[in-house]
Amino acid sequence: MAEAFDEHAGGLAHRRHRGRWSGALVLVWALIPQVALAHEIGTTRVIATVAADRSYAIAISSDASALLGRLELAQRRPITSGTSAAEVQRAFDAVCHEVPRHVAVRFDDVASTPRATCIVDAADAAPADPFNVLGVTVRLEGVVPAGATTLRWQYGLTTTSYALLLKSSAATETIWLEGDEQSRPLALATMAAAPTRAAVARTYLGLGFTHILPKGLDHILFVLGIFLLSRRLRPMLWQISAFTLAHSITLGLALYGVIELPSRIVEPLIAASIVYVAIENLWTSELKPWRVTLVFAFGLLHGMGFAGVLRELALPRSELLTGLLAFNVGVEAGQLTVILAAFVCVGMWARQSDAYRRFVVVPASIVIAATGAFWTVQRLVA
Amino acid sequence: MRTSFISLRRSLQVATRLAGVVLVVQMVGATLLAHDMWIEPTTFTPEPGDIVGARLRVGQDFIGDPLRRDDALIDQFVVQAAAGRKPLVGRPGADPAGLLRVDAPGLMVIGYRSHPSTVEQTAEKFSQYLKDEGLETIAALRARRGETGAVRELFSRCAKSLVLSGTVQPTEGDHALGFTLELVAEKNPYTTTAGQELPVRLTYEGRPLADGLVVAINRNNPTEKLSARSDANGRVHFRLPQGGQWLIKAVHMIPAKADAQADWESFWATLTFEIR
Repeated sequence: MAEAFDEHAGGLAHRRHRGRWSGALVLVWALIPQVALAHEIGTTRVIATVAADRSYAIAISSDASALLGRLELAQRRPITSGTSAAEVQRAFDAVCHEVPRHVAVRFDDVASTPRATCIVDAADAAPADPFNVLGVTVRLEGVVPAGATTLRWQYGLTTTSYALLLKSSAATETIWLEGDEQSRPLALATMAAAPTRAAVARTYLGLGFTHILPKGLDHILFVLGIFLLSRRLRPMLWQISAFTLAHSITLGLALYGVIELPSRIVEPLIAASIVYVAIENLWTSELKPWRVTLVFAFGLLHGMGFAGVLRELALPRSELLTGLLAFNVGVEAGQLTVILAAFVCVGMWARQSDAYRRFVVVPASIVIAATGAFWTVQRLVA
Repeated sequence: MRTSFISLRRSLQVATRLAGVVLVVQMVGATLLAHDMWIEPTTFTPEPGDIVGARLRVGQDFIGDPLRRDDALIDQFVVQAAAGRKPLVGRPGADPAGLLRVDAPGLMVIGYRSHPSTVEQTAEKFSQYLKDEGLETIAALRARRGETGAVRELFSRCAKSLVLSGTVQPTEGDHALGFTLELVAEKNPYTTTAGQELPVRLTYEGRPLADGLVVAINRNNPTEKLSARSDANGRVHFRLPQGGQWLIKAVHMIPAKADAQADWESFWATLTFEIR
């Protein structure tokens, strides 16, 4: 008698049992049908993002027709209905400035008045189809007062339950609100106080180290490739020094915005550099002059890779140099740990034996080269 | 709530024109504390063979947020037509929440009955809400009992919508679906034009409910609401002044049952249709 239509279930899966029910409790709950006190959940979602530079952006995504109707009603305008996305956008342009009057953004109970922009989701636009629901995203922007530790949020333009997601540089938190209910004060994790220089140094030292161990498998393989070349200490020191110098240079330059290469170019090249060092290990155990030059060039690439990570971590401007140096030292410590671990594993005795090359260097280099080749293709395709 | 001079004058005109006590109130700027829930079909006048989507909306002033299909909330989601009653199908999380194919011309009654949800409110908000929804008897009962604290309320939905396919048949009309609180149009709205009388009956547990506040809201003019109290037979007589989509609503409240873990239980009835 009727047909199912292709609908987007949206973010419904995660919302019914809002408390921290244990599995058993959920089961008991499900077995008592009449006690299913589900909430009426609408399609509104709010994402508040607080950046390290103290700017905030609050994106409210909502049903366009409901929001437009409420704004028009508040301004005593005629209600727009059943028109194209372009017309709805024009209608929003006339009333969007009404939104901040129905919103409360409070930092430590100091009200902030944001700027509002309303963008209708044109992608959903199909005016002839009443089954198609037009969405809108309202973006509220402003600045967090210095030293603020909490955010309270209240939104008067929806009548259903909705999720508020707060993202600040160190924490993400989701809470559910009923219509125009005011949120409890939400902690702005790292906004609490400007961290001390020592704290920044410690944090970034740790981040640099963990970026190699255990997170940077590609960098680990590259360093192992360098380690496997020769049994002697001198070639390894030359290569490690060239690599360190190079990645320090590009990390700094990229972080200060002097150079910029998109990661879709940098990442496959990093993977290719792993293939190169591993394959050269199969041909020779001598330190050729070009090897140092190439390792230096690869170091430049790896540095740009590090910079991408460091940028995503949103280092405060005033602490850029501290963070940069600490991160670099952390990376160095990570690399040296990898080499030390390799020494311990392979053992000094093995490095003197002929079997070392046959049973360690060649198979390990083949595995490393194959992994690097796989990553190169994977990153090129992505 | 504000009553402007113009609407006051118009309300007097309407009141004198009608036999019943029908008021027009203007409610711009008022924040209502509780919300209506209604069915908004993708079309009120489908052709035979069409698929009609029954959108569920929650809000006020006939402006509503989408409510996606949530099987945990649905007690009944049905359509009553000449051929009988059948459920509205739909995928969980879908908006429209229910779909029906129009098999034959005629009047269809779509009904949505929800399981109860709970809401907690401060005493102040609750008092204002009782006033907004015309539930003064509950306010008086609370005062007599000396209740001044926060309130836990169970509420559930009894929404209906009338959809007409093809030409209107004089024999067809709205049906009672047996919802706890229910609004039944006693004359087919599709035979009614703007300005003609439309009797609507309010029932609670199948019996007429007297003195219930019944409000009518037009889609294009949502601030000028018509409202009337039901008489001893549960009836109100509206003379809807303009064509278009109309939402009729009523709320009824009772003390919650002892085992309900709530103080009060409310029922929210709506009826939507379109007139020429």
